[in-house]
Amino acid sequence: MLTIEKLRQYGANVDEGLQRCVNNEQLYLTLVNRFLDQNTFPDLKDAILAHDLEKAFHIAHSLKGVIGNLSLSPLYDVIYQLTELLRNRTEMDYSNYIQRYEVSYSMLSALR
Amino acid sequence: MLLGSKSAIFSFLSKWETLIEGKGAMIMNKNKRKILIVEDEFVNREILKNILLDDFEIIEAEDGETALELLNSGRDDLSLILLDLFLPKLSGLELLNIIQANTALNNIPVIVLTSDKELEVQCLQYGASDFISKPYPDSSIIKARINRVVELFEDRQTIKSTERDALTRLYTREYFYKYVADEDRLNPNVERDAIAIGIRSFHIIKERFGTSFSDSLLVRFSKRLKKLMPNISGMVCHLEADTFIVYAQHFVDYEKFLEEMSADIYVDKESKTPLKVQMGIYQNADKNLDIDVRFERAKIALNKLRDSVVKNYFIFDDKLKEKELFEEELLEEFNTAINEKQFVVFYQPKFNIQGEAPRLVSAEALVRWKHPQKGLISPGIFIPLFEEKGLIQRLDLYVWKEAASQMKKWQEKYHKHVPVSVNVSRIDLFDPTLVETLLEIVKENGLKTSDLLLEITESACTDNVDVIIDKASALRAAGFKIEIDDFGTGYSSLSMINKLPLDALKIDMIFIRNAFTSENDNKMIKIIIDIASYLKVPTIAEGVETKEQVAVLKELGCDIVQGYYFSKPVPNEEFAAFLTTEK
Repeated sequence: MLTIEKLRQYGANVDEGLQRCVNNEQLYLTLVNRFLDQNTFPDLKDAILAHDLEKAFHIAHSLKGVIGNLSLSPLYDVIYQLTELLRNRTEMDYSNYIQRYEVSYSMLSALR
Repeated sequence: MLLGSKSAIFSFLSKWETLIEGKGAMIMNKNKRKILIVEDEFVNREILKNILLDDFEIIEAEDGETALELLNSGRDDLSLILLDLFLPKLSGLELLNIIQANTALNNIPVIVLTSDKELEVQCLQYGASDFISKPYPDSSIIKARINRVVELFEDRQTIKSTERDALTRLYTREYFYKYVADEDRLNPNVERDAIAIGIRSFHIIKERFGTSFSDSLLVRFSKRLKKLMPNISGMVCHLEADTFIVYAQHFVDYEKFLEEMSADIYVDKESKTPLKVQMGIYQNADKNLDIDVRFERAKIALNKLRDSVVKNYFIFDDKLKEKELFEEELLEEFNTAINEKQFVVFYQPKFNIQGEAPRLVSAEALVRWKHPQKGLISPGIFIPLFEEKGLIQRLDLYVWKEAASQMKKWQEKYHKHVPVSVNVSRIDLFDPTLVETLLEIVKENGLKTSDLLLEITESACTDNVDVIIDKASALRAAGFKIEIDDFGTGYSSLSMINKLPLDALKIDMIFIRNAFTSENDNKMIKIIIDIASYLKVPTIAEGVETKEQVAVLKELGCDIVQGYYFSKPVPNEEFAAFLTTEK
């Protein structure tokens, strides 16, 4: 089961995330769980593979907002870089970023 | 607190979602201000909601279209919109544009939620009040920013709803005074006029045509005033009823402004009765005075004009002597005084002294003003004033009627024919209907024309001699008797007097008063009596106060005497005593 301590060990900036939730631990954990359940990254990956960088950017941008608000730092670092690259519609091989994201995501998911 | 299991969390979440998610779902709370959160990400919405839930009622929309539907369905009770820029269907910027272009919605402040620095400025330019960046800052910062924007907009709304008068949409006094103060602070060296504007006979218009008409007249007039303000660098306030106040850069062409204010505005479309506007002006208003005092002065000036038929604007001058202010009040109150019969006619008997005993031959009607507040006002104050302001004709007419009706009463009650002399002002002599008017008065009261003695002052005969002579002849032909008043004080020539048809010469009291202290003036009396005897008319001496004076005047050949020796001017009731004692 997801706990504040596990998230801290994972590398999330828990204090910041909790602060946004007005120190409501239950809400914070609920929202992280919600994020994991509503995983939109496969859509982002599909868009990149289909070279629909516009769609990919929009998904990445939204994802960045959510991850940022939850202060999930390991994921945020990747999604931030990804968003900036996609913002400029950079044609490149995104597999490294995709892999990094997926690893971080499964590490977080494994905490549940 | 931790939830028991994964499935428990999901079950809790799904219930929560059915409760609060969905299009436009809301948590009811009537006492809190309402905030619309337009954000597609559940997590972000929940974070905001959690921060704001204690203080606000939260309404949610997941996308731009839903938000717009909600706004268009009459959600004008919102205190704030929190708007995410990246929304499915309708983007945040598009929605912001729509909101700003809609007058029903653009008074709701919008705070934009964005993670893009470069869009922040654009959002403010598009009309957003503020932005909150993502990831969200400290919850206390979010709260503070939201509260600040909500408060600012509420203040602005309060100002908007109270700064203008509901009927005319002109400034209300409170805000007008505030803007006057701002103006003074920003342009301390610009000379300003405080002006009060009123519509003449507004209460009559209201009574005659009804409130809805008079209201619409006020609206039309207000629009005109507003339109004219740039011309005089002014601003205008609807103070009350038909009173407006204007604060303008000092100007002088008041006639032009008055014309522009009322041009093509009619109080009665059928008869095209033009709107008549009056204006009281406190020029170059002293900025050290309270704003209220400055406009009070303008109102004082305006009030001087109320009901005046003479002027349509009046300038307040604080150097005005009290006398002038007093006189303006008298002019202002003239109509009321006439209507309420505040003018009272007193009678002073005239006695023939040439017989063995003095014999009552006639009386002079003398007007007094019994003012309800100011007390008894001397004709020496108001008659010259009314002459100057063109009101004397109406007062003369009033006195003629009063005297005639009094004579009628005396004749009926005492069966006595005592002629009464009344004053005929110079201006009356130029009135083509004078003879007719006098004849009517005589007829109405069943009198003879010889009962009404007409006193014309010598100084009235100094120019336009032919007109005066013609008129006097016509009056005499109609049977009226003419007495030349204040004889000896004017500059009429003997040849003119010779041509002027007359029935008596009145010796001015100044000659009588000085007759016994100056040899010269005694001679003047004698000369006047000589002239009268040459013209074969009697003399009447005014202001006779002592027995000695009576004796000398009798010896000099003066026929008739009037003065305190016999009686001061008395009210008609007291005058009756002379009628009952006389044989």
